[in-house]
Parts: sequence; C-alpha cells; structure tokens
Amino acid sequence: MDINDISTAVRRVDALEKCSGTAKYVSDYDFNDCLWSKMIRSSIPRGIIKNIRIPTLPDGYFWVDYKDIPKGGKNYLHMIATDWKCFAEHDVRYTGETIALLCGPDKKILEDLYKQVEIEYEELEPAVTIDEGLNCKGGAFVNDNNIHCHLKLQVGDVDSAFKKADRIVTETIETGFQEHVYLETNGACCKIENNKYVFYVSAQCPFYIRKSIAPLLNISPDEIIVKQTVTGGAFGGKEHFPDVLCGPLLVAVHKIGKGVKLFFTREEDMENSVKRHPSKVVFKTGLDKNGNILAMESKVYYNAGGYLSSSFVVLQRGCFHVSGCYEFPNFSSEGFGVATNTFPSCAFRGFGAPQTLFAIETHMCHLAEMQGLDPLEFKKRYFIKKGGITSTNGKVVEDVKIPEMLNQVLKTSDYKRKVKQYALGSGKGIGISFYNHGGAFTGNGEQAIIKAKCKLKKYSNGKVEILCGQTEMGQGFKTILPKIAAKVLNIPLIDVIYNNPDTSKVPDSGPTAASRSTMIVGKLVEKAALLMKERFNKEKEFEVETSYEHPEGYDWDQENFQGYAYLGYGWGVCVVEVEVDPCTGEVTTKGIWSSHDAGHLIDEKIVHGQVNGGVIQGIGWASTEVMENINGYFKQKSMSDYIIPTSMDYPSQYVDFVENPYKWGPFGAKGMGELVFNGSGAAYIDALSRAIGKRISSIPCPTEKVMEYMLNGKDIKDSLNICR
Amino acid sequence: MIKDIDFILNGKKVTIKVNPLSRLLDVLRDNLNCKDVKEGCSEGECGACSVLLDDRIVTSCLIPIGAVQNHEIKTSNYVTSTEKGKIIAEAFADGGAVQCGFCIPGMIIAAYDLLSRNSNPTEEEIRLGISGNICRCTGYDLIVSSIRLAVERGGDIWKK
Amino acid sequence: MEKIDCYIPETLQEALEILHREDVIILAGGSDLMVFHKNEPSLIPEFEKSVMIIRNLNELKGIRINSNGECEIGALCTSNEIAESTIVPWHLRQAASRMGAVGLRNSATIGGNIANASPKGDMPGPLYLLDARVKLTSLNGSREMLVSDFIIKFKSIDLKKDELITKIIIPYSERDFDYIFWHKVGTRKSNAISKITVGMALKFAEDEIVKDFRLSATSTGAKTNRNRDVENLLIGSKITEENISRVIEAFDQVISPRAMPVFRRESTKRMIRRFLSQCLLHPESRVIDTYDSYYVPGSPKPVFNI
Repeated sequence: MDINDISTAVRRVDALEKCSGTAKYVSDYDFNDCLWSKMIRSSIPRGIIKNIRIPTLPDGYFWVDYKDIPKGGKNYLHMIATDWKCFAEHDVRYTGETIALLCGPDKKILEDLYKQVEIEYEELEPAVTIDEGLNCKGGAFVNDNNIHCHLKLQVGDVDSAFKKADRIVTETIETGFQEHVYLETNGACCKIENNKYVFYVSAQCPFYIRKSIAPLLNISPDEIIVKQTVTGGAFGGKEHFPDVLCGPLLVAVHKIGKGVKLFFTREEDMENSVKRHPSKVVFKTGLDKNGNILAMESKVYYNAGGYLSSSFVVLQRGCFHVSGCYEFPNFSSEGFGVATNTFPSCAFRGFGAPQTLFAIETHMCHLAEMQGLDPLEFKKRYFIKKGGITSTNGKVVEDVKIPEMLNQVLKTSDYKRKVKQYALGSGKGIGISFYNHGGAFTGNGEQAIIKAKCKLKKYSNGKVEILCGQTEMGQGFKTILPKIAAKVLNIPLIDVIYNNPDTSKVPDSGPTAASRSTMIVGKLVEKAALLMKERFNKEKEFEVETSYEHPEGYDWDQENFQGYAYLGYGWGVCVVEVEVDPCTGEVTTKGIWSSHDAGHLIDEKIVHGQVNGGVIQGIGWASTEVMENINGYFKQKSMSDYIIPTSMDYPSQYVDFVENPYKWGPFGAKGMGELVFNGSGAAYIDALSRAIGKRISSIPCPTEKVMEYMLNGKDIKDSLNICR
Repeated sequence: MIKDIDFILNGKKVTIKVNPLSRLLDVLRDNLNCKDVKEGCSEGECGACSVLLDDRIVTSCLIPIGAVQNHEIKTSNYVTSTEKGKIIAEAFADGGAVQCGFCIPGMIIAAYDLLSRNSNPTEEEIRLGISGNICRCTGYDLIVSSIRLAVERGGDIWKK
Repeated sequence: MEKIDCYIPETLQEALEILHREDVIILAGGSDLMVFHKNEPSLIPEFEKSVMIIRNLNELKGIRINSNGECEIGALCTSNEIAESTIVPWHLRQAASRMGAVGLRNSATIGGNIANASPKGDMPGPLYLLDARVKLTSLNGSREMLVSDFIIKFKSIDLKKDELITKIIIPYSERDFDYIFWHKVGTRKSNAISKITVGMALKFAEDEIVKDFRLSATSTGAKTNRNRDVENLLIGSKITEENISRVIEAFDQVISPRAMPVFRRESTKRMIRRFLSQCLLHPESRVIDTYDSYYVPGSPKPVFNI
C-alpha cells in the first residue's frame, strides 16, 4: 500500500492476526519448561507481619521472598521513586502487597499449597481516604504527616488579588478510583536464555522493567532482556505495574535457576493492581463586582496509596493542568500526594491531568450557574491564547484553536438551541467542556532524563527496520511509526519492519507513555528516515541513528517547576447531551460531539478510534465506574461489579478535528492518546447537572447517586460557599 | 474422573479424554491449542471467550465440556477462514475496529452470530448484537461501522 | 476428598434415576454454577459433590401453549429462546431479553434462574407477577407449586433431593391486562445486573374500577417481592391520588433493600406512581414505561390481539 497523504487511513498492520486470533499474547505462549507461580500477598491493609507458616513444600516447589534477594541486591522496584518494595519484609502498607512468590511445576498442587499458607499479623488501623491520610489516622507512616510529595505554583499574586475581591467562594471537587480493565490481565514469564534473564511480558515500557528490577540482583540492566508480547490494552496500567510481577519473578528465577511464569486472573488483577489516583481539589476563587475571576487558588490532593513510586510526577501534571484551558490574572496551585493504606495509585491515561481538568471545568460551570450565566459564555472570557501565561509561568508556544473547535461542535451539536430549549431540571441537558494535554515529558525531561534514541536499518533487500522501544498496546503505534518511515522514504508500508521491542536489539527510545510516542519518537523516525533517504539508493545495508534534542529558548526549571512545561499541547472541546429518567435517575446519553487539535493527523482512522475510546472511557469514569475501597479493601472485584461501558451505553460519536501542525512533530503531529480522555467526563456531568438542575461536585455519579441528587441535591443556581 | 468427549471442533470430529467438568475454554486452549479463544473475565461477562455452539454464540468459560458432547464448536480462527468470516475480518481491519485486539476474536464471533440471524441489521441491532462483548479500547463506534461495512460488502451472502 | 463424579444423562428418565440414587448438583446452563465454582484457569472447577449436567435433555426444552391456554416453558429453555418466542408472556420476554450478556443468554436457563433463587435474578419477577407455577418431577411423580412459594428465601428453594424442575407454567399474559409495565434499572444499558426491577399489570372492570392489579419488585430484599394485600388496596376501587399513595406507602413497607435504600425505595415509588397515574389517563399505548421517550432498543413487543 502506498501512502499518499499521511493522514489517509491505512489498514493496521496487526489487524488481521488479531481477528483470526493468531496474535500471541503472553498467556498464549507455551512456556512448558517454566514453573507456575502464585503471588502471596498481604491480606490486611496495614500491619506488622508476625509469623508466616509455609506448608511443607514438595520437591521442586519453592517459596521466594525478600530473604532470597542476594547480597548487594536492593529490595525495591525503581518506579521513578525507589520506595515501593519488591517483597514486604516486616510491615505491610496495603492489602495486596507482595510478600512472596510460591513456585512449582503443577498448578493444582501449587493452588493447594497456596491455600495452606498462613500469615499472622499485628493489625494496625488503616488510613484509606485522602482525609484519613491527611489526618494521619492510625498514626503517620510516611514522614510525620503522610505527605509523600508536595509542590506549589503561583502566577501573579493571589493573596493581594483576594484583598480586592468583592466575594470569595470555595468549592471542593472530588473524583474516585478508576480501574484500567485492559481486556488482557497482567502476565509475565522469566526464563534464562544464553545466561541472561529474559522476560516475556505484556507491558508498555520494556526498558522501565530492566531499570526497575536490575537492582534486586545488583546486576546491570543489560543482564536482563525484556521482550514485549502482544499487549491487550494497557492505558497506563502496564506502564510501571509489570515491574510488580517482574521483580519477584527475577528473584525467583535467580534462586531456582529455572523459568517461572505468572498470570493474574481478572479478580486478582482488579483487587491487586494500580488504579487512577482519587482526587480532591479545593478551589478558592475571588470574584469582582461583575462576577469576573480576579484570582483562584487550588489545593490538589491525590490519594497516592502506600508508596510514592510515580505519584509525584502524576501530581505535578495534575497541578500543571489545574488551570485548564484558561488564563487567570492570579492563580496558584498547591499539590499534596497523600499516603494511605491503599494499593499505590499509578499511571492511567491522562496521568493526573484528568482529575484537575474535571475539577476546573466543573468549578467554572458552577461559578457560571450561580451567577445565572451560561457556562460556555463564562468560560469564553478566560480562554488561553498563544503567548498566554501557563500555570508554570511559561508561555503557550502554539496557536490555540479553541475558537475554531468550538465553532465546529456548536454547529454539529446544535448546542445553543438546545441550551435554550432544555430548561434547568427539565430532564434534558447539554454540557460542554474544554481541555488540553501537554504532550511528552514535562519541560526538558525528554532531553535531561529520557534521552530517547532511535535507529533505522536498511537491509540489502530494500526492507527497512525501525529499532526503538515503543510498544503497540492497541493505540496503533505499530502502524503509525512504519507509516511515517514509509512516507518519508517513499517505499511501501509492507517494506517497513517494526517488531515488538526486544531490549537487547533496540535502543531505548523512552517509555510508551505521556502521549510522547508519535510526537517525540515519531519525529526521531522521521528524522532518521530523512537521513536514510539521502543514502538510500547508494548503499545496500546501513543504519542511521537519531536522538532527541530540545529546541533552544524554551527553558524549564525542574527544581521550582517554572518555565515551559510543554511545547505542544493537544486541545479538545466536547459536548454531551443527556436525558434523565424522572422515575429512576437513569441517564441516557443522546449525543456526543467533539473536536480535537492533535496537530496534523498521522492516520485519521487510528486517531478517530482513539477519540471514540478515550471519550467513552472518560464518561465511564464520571458515571458508572464505581471502585470503592472499604477499610482498605477494593469492593469491586470482577467485571460484573465494576461497570465499564458496553456497546449499548453510548451513541455513535460525532468526531471533528482542527488542523494545527506542530512545529516539532512528525508531519506536524502532536500527542493525543491521553487528551481524548481528559474532558468528556466534565461535559457529561455538566449536561447531567443541568438536566436535573442540581449541582454535582463528585464523580463517579451512577444511577443511585443521580436519584440522591434529584431528591436532596443543592440547586444548581445556589451560590457556592462564600468564605468572604 | 476422565471421560471421552466427542464433538465437532471447527469442522473436524475430535475425541478427547478429559474431566467433563472442565471449562470448554480450558479444553480449547490447553488441550486443543485454540489460543484464539481468550480469557478476559472468567464469569461470562466480557465475551472474550465467545465461541459458536451449534452456530449460536456462547461464552466458553461457563460451559463444562461434558455439555458439549456430540455438539459443534467453532472458534474465530476457523470462522475467519470461511467466506463469511473473511468478509467480517477484512471489514474489521479496514474499518479500524481493531485496537488491542484482545476482545476481537469474541467480537468476530458476535458479529458472525448476529449476521447469520439478521442479514441487514441496523446500527441499533448491531449494538445489541455485540452488547455482550466488552471492548475497553474502541468505544465500539468503529466496530459497529465495520460490521455495517461487512453487511454491505457481503450483500446477499448473509441471506444464505 | 471424596470422589466427585459427573453424570451426563441423555433422557429425563435417566436423569431422574440418577437423582433418585445420588446426591448431585444439577447443572443446567452453567451460567451461575460455573462462576460460583470457578477455579484458577486450566484447573477443574471445584464442586463439593458430584454433578449432573442436564443442559442437553431435549425433553426439558420447548415452549408451547397447553390446553388451558397457559404458556408452558421447558425448564431448560434459554433466555434467548424465551426472549425470541412470541407465545411467551411479555413481562417474561422483557426480563429474558435483558438478562446478562448475549452469549450468556444462550446458556442461562429459566429453570436454573429460578433454582438459583437470587434476589437479583431476572426471571422470578415476571413469574411472581403472572402467578407462574413450577412443575417438579421425580421418579415418584410430579407436583406443581407457585414459583413464589417454591423460592423460600435467599438462595433457598423447596426442591426435594430427587426432584427436577421440568416445566414452568404461566397462566397469565399481557392479554389479560389493559396496561403493563416492566422496567429494569441495570448497572448499565446492557449486560447488566438488576439494581431494581419493577413489573406491573392492571386491568379495569366497568366504571373505572380496578379489576386486577399486580406489582412485583426484584433486588429489593432477600427475595422477589410481591404482596397481594398491597394489590388488594386497589382492586375493587378506583385509581385516585389517595389510593396511589396508599399502594406506594404499603409497598414501601413490604420491600427491604439493604444497599442503595434511598434509590431503591424512591424509584420504586416513582415507578408505581407513574404507572397508576398513566393508567388513569387511559393512554393509547398499553405498555407504560417510566417516561414517554424511554425506549430500550431491542426490547420485545407485546401481543395484545386475542
């Protein structure tokens, strides 16, 4: 297939093998020579391990725990921070914390042994919610205040502006846990091949795994080879989390000298895996006599769980995005990563941005409604533009096409007519949200931390192989990257080879995360292909390599979080229309319209699919996806308890884009995989609260909560709490 | 307790010695190497393990193999090799229906089951037909339009 | 561990003989039992005693109208077979058509759903509402009883060790009523467990007097709720605001939802009020739902022509 326009859809390279079922996911391999394993986990949220009774193990069965970490090895998983232990030693901080790995050749015998394991604890009182964490319920277990991490940002001078305010209002917006529910549960196998530890694993970031677990044996990451298997969905849930499987497997294989495999059942995966951070954002907003915003203060609390791991970076992104698509004259945000006795929270599509974007959008709606204004008209006053100052005192580098995007969705959704027609509380409602997502790692992180490299190799038969660590997990990268190379080199797509990464064969191009793959690695491939093109017909077999260079003049101070946090943002506008059953509170979504700016699209169909999936996942988060943690235990353990959308829940979406080529992206493309999640929840809740005429300030909001709002909720037009 | 179970798998008669209470899903994957049948939820909720039992869609995680004695099972790998199944798979590929792919073998079974009972379904009927198959990636829109594409491409073939 | 056996009888007679001599778990479609007894992948599901798989007993399949005009449904009819049959009463077709996932509906049987006796089960609601009976058969003969008596309480049924549910007999259908109502609030639009389901039916006599009124609710207590005293508050009277309130308040005393009580009680009240106040208006549509534009795609249409 020749590629004319880079945006024109091509057939995904992996589509047919996935249809026939021949694509091999990790549980489809035989691994017959490997032992089975079961994870032994903490059954309590907080306490001290007093005694472990291990049943008598038959020959060939092994108990592997922290004592098996060799001298010089370190009992932690390196997931940005290094506090998350591979195996619990003395105390446990959350239900599901890994204590040991039980390994053996027969699954049935292993299961019977597993049931005989008895662990005695001295139980301590757990802190589960953000408030309980902050109040140090049961005593602080991180620092002296249960604050894992903290940051503070300010634009202008909020305190002085508050003094001039006519009134100051406060509001708290909350969001809950969200479970990824990748259709393929976590699984990994570690074997010894040619004296190296070789992992086959369903994962987003093969190089992260090496780096994270090598300290366990005090070996070089090069002693570990990670081969990504076809990955059945990830959404952030396989960014760092596979380390939690691979670490114990590495120690086990080191001890036993034989391969070991570990696969999670759905129930096991739901109860014992990372989730999206629950959040609480407390706004304090100063208004002038005319209701204009003079200053806004935001305090952002994320429930980080038992260990810090990656939460500080998630919290940073949350704080950077809490001003949304707006520029306020004075604005501050302060973030707190709160330690609790829940499973450590981690990456999930949006990486901290969706929580604060939901909060600011919802707060803006409420500020408008209490003044009798249409939320759209109110929000319009503050849209940020090119050159506008961001929450980190940087500037927006690119054109902001919100007005164009807004025009598109207003037209397709017939928003204005419907707003007039559907009275507040009439049972029908339409809502709108604006959102963005900073592409790639923050600031100069791409250059300072990631240092992405990528290679292109030409073979004598004219085929070209892309060598990089980026993974396909459903988002289409296995098609996107070859398409970029094929287009530049003007060769058929079929002549570009791009295998699932094997860390011994490809350079580290950084994680497949942070909406960076197309934007950063896609650009590296484009650059490499351009270099290759010059020599293409002259040389038979050769390699070119490119590495990331940060454009000059866009500085970032990582100590104080000041400067250009992101060079390119994706932008989005979403409109949702709902109808509420007056008898039952059931919500029917009648329409979803969106427009996104993802620069220049690499493949219309792939991007379309990302929008559809992200938008629905976002509405799911805001509506039916209830994940409760009761006293330290997740209550929803199965796919019949945790309610994700089916094909019947939402209508076909109307999807639009604006063209806004990004200077530093391949063919002008920007990141968009997370962007498309970031705003639909707020639009849905805006529509729902207008339909029932009540103010909704926390999600998820399933049917029973809608009914409770209908009965006892605050009127949408009531004033927010006035604190002065 | 091992019994001989005979059934027709993907057009061929098979006899296996197995505990009749084993899940059809496990027998297909472990004993008969049908790795195209995926396990997503283990409770009949997600549809990833869907197969055709006497040409109707069932979730193979809920069926003991003993209940399949003398019946006929088809999995997606076989279905996509038939004339009709090929049309569905090609439409899925061209229509952007496939992302992570884990739900797709089951989804193909659902589409096949639907089109064999309704040769010209509306969007609503398609959504209903695949409502037992959960996909976390696509938001379903491109799966729905791909099934429509298969209807159009197949034309009269769906009436056969 | 005692030996677990598995029987796969080919005839009803054979099945009854096995039941007569052995203590077995009866496995029909498997949609509940296989989940309840599930094990790790690749390991045999763990049953505490021997199992008899009856999924393929043809004698327990088929749907027909008997000589009394009652609908007789074989205990092994699946949800999809019931949903697709036009001779099955409308309330039951509604319930069957929205039970679980499409693939599951080809396994799940009506007999199994009754025997499971879950307060969230989809089938018992309509069966209570329409005075359906179960037929229980053993080598010693048969007996029949109301489904509402057969289900004793949460997960408990009046089935003797040697008996098999062979048939469900439903004496009433939508044709016996002027107005009908069935609404399931699921956890989502499809593939859903009931958060609350309310079924109603009403027939007028002369002069606006209510001749028959029925009301059932599932997911509102330890078992499906139907209470004739509540229904009798309306039967023989006219529908008035006062009577509606009396019915609502009386039924609120009958139900005992533990989780989500505010939602379950309030939505039950609202659905009853909606149905009765609509009946009063004698709308053209004999199917009344929670609000006018409500429509569940793919839901079965009632048959009123007699």
